[in-house]
Amino acid sequence: MAFVAITDGAASTAEVAAFERDRRELLRRGFGLGGTALVASSIPLLWSVRSAFAEAGGDGDAPILAKAINLERVTVVAYDSLIGGELLSPSVRRVLRRFRAHEQEHAATLTRSLTSLGGTPPAPPEGPADVDQVVEGLRDVRSQEDALSFLIELETAAVAAYFDAQAKLSEPKLLQTSASIMANEGQHLVVLRRRAGRDPLPNAFETGEQ
Amino acid sequence: MELDHFLRDPQSRRRFFRMTGVGVAGASAVLLGACSDDTKNPVRLGPDESDQADVEILNGLLDLEFMAIAAYKAGAPKLGGERLGIVKVFLEQEQAHADGLSGSIEELDGKPNRAKSDYDFPVLRTEADVLRFALDLENTAIAAYIDALPKFSEKKLRSTAASIITNEAEHASVLLDALGREPVPAAFVTGKAA
Repeated sequence: MAFVAITDGAASTAEVAAFERDRRELLRRGFGLGGTALVASSIPLLWSVRSAFAEAGGDGDAPILAKAINLERVTVVAYDSLIGGELLSPSVRRVLRRFRAHEQEHAATLTRSLTSLGGTPPAPPEGPADVDQVVEGLRDVRSQEDALSFLIELETAAVAAYFDAQAKLSEPKLLQTSASIMANEGQHLVVLRRRAGRDPLPNAFETGEQ
Repeated sequence: MELDHFLRDPQSRRRFFRMTGVGVAGASAVLLGACSDDTKNPVRLGPDESDQADVEILNGLLDLEFMAIAAYKAGAPKLGGERLGIVKVFLEQEQAHADGLSGSIEELDGKPNRAKSDYDFPVLRTEADVLRFALDLENTAIAAYIDALPKFSEKKLRSTAASIITNEAEHASVLLDALGREPVPAAFVTGKAA
């Protein structure tokens, strides 16, 4: 595979359609949230996240940072919601608390970066309903298996967003910071996939595609 | 060289990577121009110079991938069971990175470097030695790719480099876990400079 063949977030309609076909096929075969009925609106998650980052372009790095801050904060809300529930074993809860702290660190660092550029951080999310901006399905989580599958979806969406951000950011240090965050989300995925009984390393190029 | 000495002595590590030809930061004049951190007064390169600079960066990263492939091949006989299976997956993925880098270099009309016939690796006596050395190489690769990111002229190369960084970070996570250590030790993955 040649590097330059990998497309960025401004994905073509055909590519998005193909992606949605693949996901619908997986869902039809029962690979959705641990067997739970997955709402249809969860399907184009990458499309919605990638569109958000694509729309953020064109006015320097600040709009992309604002989108990334929102993504990290929403992820913290999702982790809080699951950690606060009754579905998790103590060991999984400990892991999720650690990952939640990482997401919080990402949000704080990105907020400092945005402020230093003269930007204004976005309003914080109001609650779990805001997680739907990124991935729908949090309200349908009924088991630890569902929770792990949901978080895999969410972390994968974050990897996709940071993958796309690389082609849009211009400040060198922001490029490096976003890559170091993307790599951390990938490490979260390794642990979550293992806990969910999945292959921890399915992709040599971790782009956020599933 | 003993592995403990290699891992603890920065000069030994630097000497090893220099001797084995890995030099992502070592650069020609054109690459140093492309590396400028002065974003207010960026060095403007013509299309051919930009491509040449990208090729040099890609070849430095390709050297690291070849080294990782050689290291996993050298270490595999010390491993068994699940850990051998893991290393086989790593090996396939490092080869995929090397193939991708070579393809990109050729698309830029460059000539990909070739793997060296021999690497003077530290002595790896045990399974743990293989895992610790592999972790050091993965962390070195992560640092090199992160260093390279802002230097690419072609923006899509950044995205793809980030996808490799993330995969190397995943390898590091699996290796840390195999060594009985915290698999996700920090919120920001920055690797370890050569």
